[in-house]
Amino acid sequence: MVWDGIIACYLFLAGLGAGAFALAALAGFVKPDATKLRLAGYLIAPIAVAVGTVLLMVDAKAGLMNPLRFFGLLANFSSVMAWGVVILILFMIVSVAALVIMLRKKSTPKALDIVGLVCAVAVAMYTGLLLGDAPGFPLWNPVVLPLLFLVSAVSSGFAAVLLAAHAGKTGEPEGLGFLKKTGLALPVLEAVLVVALLAVTASVGGSAGPAAAASVANLVSGPYAVAFWLGLVVVGLALPFCLELVRAAQAKKNPEAASSGMAIAGEACVLVGGFLLRYLVIMAAVPLVLF
Amino acid sequence: MTEKRLGMLIDLSLCIGCNACAVACKQENGVPLTKFNTWVESWDVGTGEQTRRANEPKLCNHCADAPCVKVCPTGASYRTEEGVVLVDEEKCIGCKYCMAACPFQARWVDDDTGEVGKCTFCYHRSSQGLLPACVSTCVTRARYFGDLNDPESDIAKKAAEAGGEALYADLGLDPAVLYVGLSQVESMPVTSAIHRGGNVVKPLEG
Repeated sequence: MVWDGIIACYLFLAGLGAGAFALAALAGFVKPDATKLRLAGYLIAPIAVAVGTVLLMVDAKAGLMNPLRFFGLLANFSSVMAWGVVILILFMIVSVAALVIMLRKKSTPKALDIVGLVCAVAVAMYTGLLLGDAPGFPLWNPVVLPLLFLVSAVSSGFAAVLLAAHAGKTGEPEGLGFLKKTGLALPVLEAVLVVALLAVTASVGGSAGPAAAASVANLVSGPYAVAFWLGLVVVGLALPFCLELVRAAQAKKNPEAASSGMAIAGEACVLVGGFLLRYLVIMAAVPLVLF
Repeated sequence: MTEKRLGMLIDLSLCIGCNACAVACKQENGVPLTKFNTWVESWDVGTGEQTRRANEPKLCNHCADAPCVKVCPTGASYRTEEGVVLVDEEKCIGCKYCMAACPFQARWVDDDTGEVGKCTFCYHRSSQGLLPACVSTCVTRARYFGDLNDPESDIAKKAAEAGGEALYADLGLDPAVLYVGLSQVESMPVTSAIHRGGNVVKPLEG
């Protein structure tokens, strides 16, 4: 295996940071006075992405031992990774700026939020395209993976911010109407994309066919099947969806009674699923050779 | 006058799987323990009546459209004018993106330095008109080396006469390593695990 859990953590944290920024910015458009929730988002975004980037550098041992070599990272723009470096730098600049302005004025300029949203989408999709541009592993589909990682980034970023908001008993998430829709739509969308990834990979033919089939088998029935079905499908997708349904029903009867404990549980599940998705996509991928 | 394109052609009907190429390469290039620039994959083939040994030497394919060169963010991976894919270790950060991109898994990472290494076609020799170590040591002369674009070269003549097939040709990477007898060997029923340098890399299924 070329990459392992460290890179999975990086992909997860980069997506989480992007999603956290997205929620902070979107909340600013519809409900600017949800300042605690927004501050949590602006805070989580640069921290998560920075920690992820540090993990990336730790994994790149030759660079870690000769740090000056990292300055060569913008030498070849046919590499998705070089574009990723640009995207990460831009995102860090915008999200740190948004955080500083938020801390000082309790609000952020709309233009900055829009630029940040564009950067956030780029960060989330780049993590998928990074893998998608490596033809050694047929599981890493260059079309489905960026979309799947984008949806999962939104899910996990939202979940991280909402977890903080619910744990801090701010009451602010209840004021954001779109969260009721995303809480149900995102797990469904992610499940559809997971199925699409498996289906597209299973249909790969030619030299890459056997490795593609072995990758799908690894997830569905092989050594990663328990983590896939129990971890990703049940805990990461089905459980958050069901908890959201129950909460929606509760809220209809009595808006005050909607359990924040249940919300926190659902959000924790989303985070587990978000990490497992990256981990499984990396670990279950079978290289072309010998299969 | 077309551009020079250094390449290798391996006649599988001659390879006896002795691994002398792998040993010579290690000595010539100081490749770390457990890492290989070239290796031999061996397994049994047969129809039940007769069992034979299939041997397939592998190495970097020095692709014309090399995905490892494309994905390298620092430009440490590059292709010379003669079509040889090399790594400039001084630029390598060890991100391993090239290793993920290579469908032949021909690259390895040095556990001490974190830098990525690979077959260089013995560039320090071949750029001086000498043969790569694996070619000059091969006891059955199964490996040919030279300019694929020069019709007068040994390798081009052999390729024209016996036909050269590339691994994973359908990926469209245009490898510079060709095999004689590849489709015959790969179409024979596999009756044992696949070994690499004596170690099992793929157990026999069923």
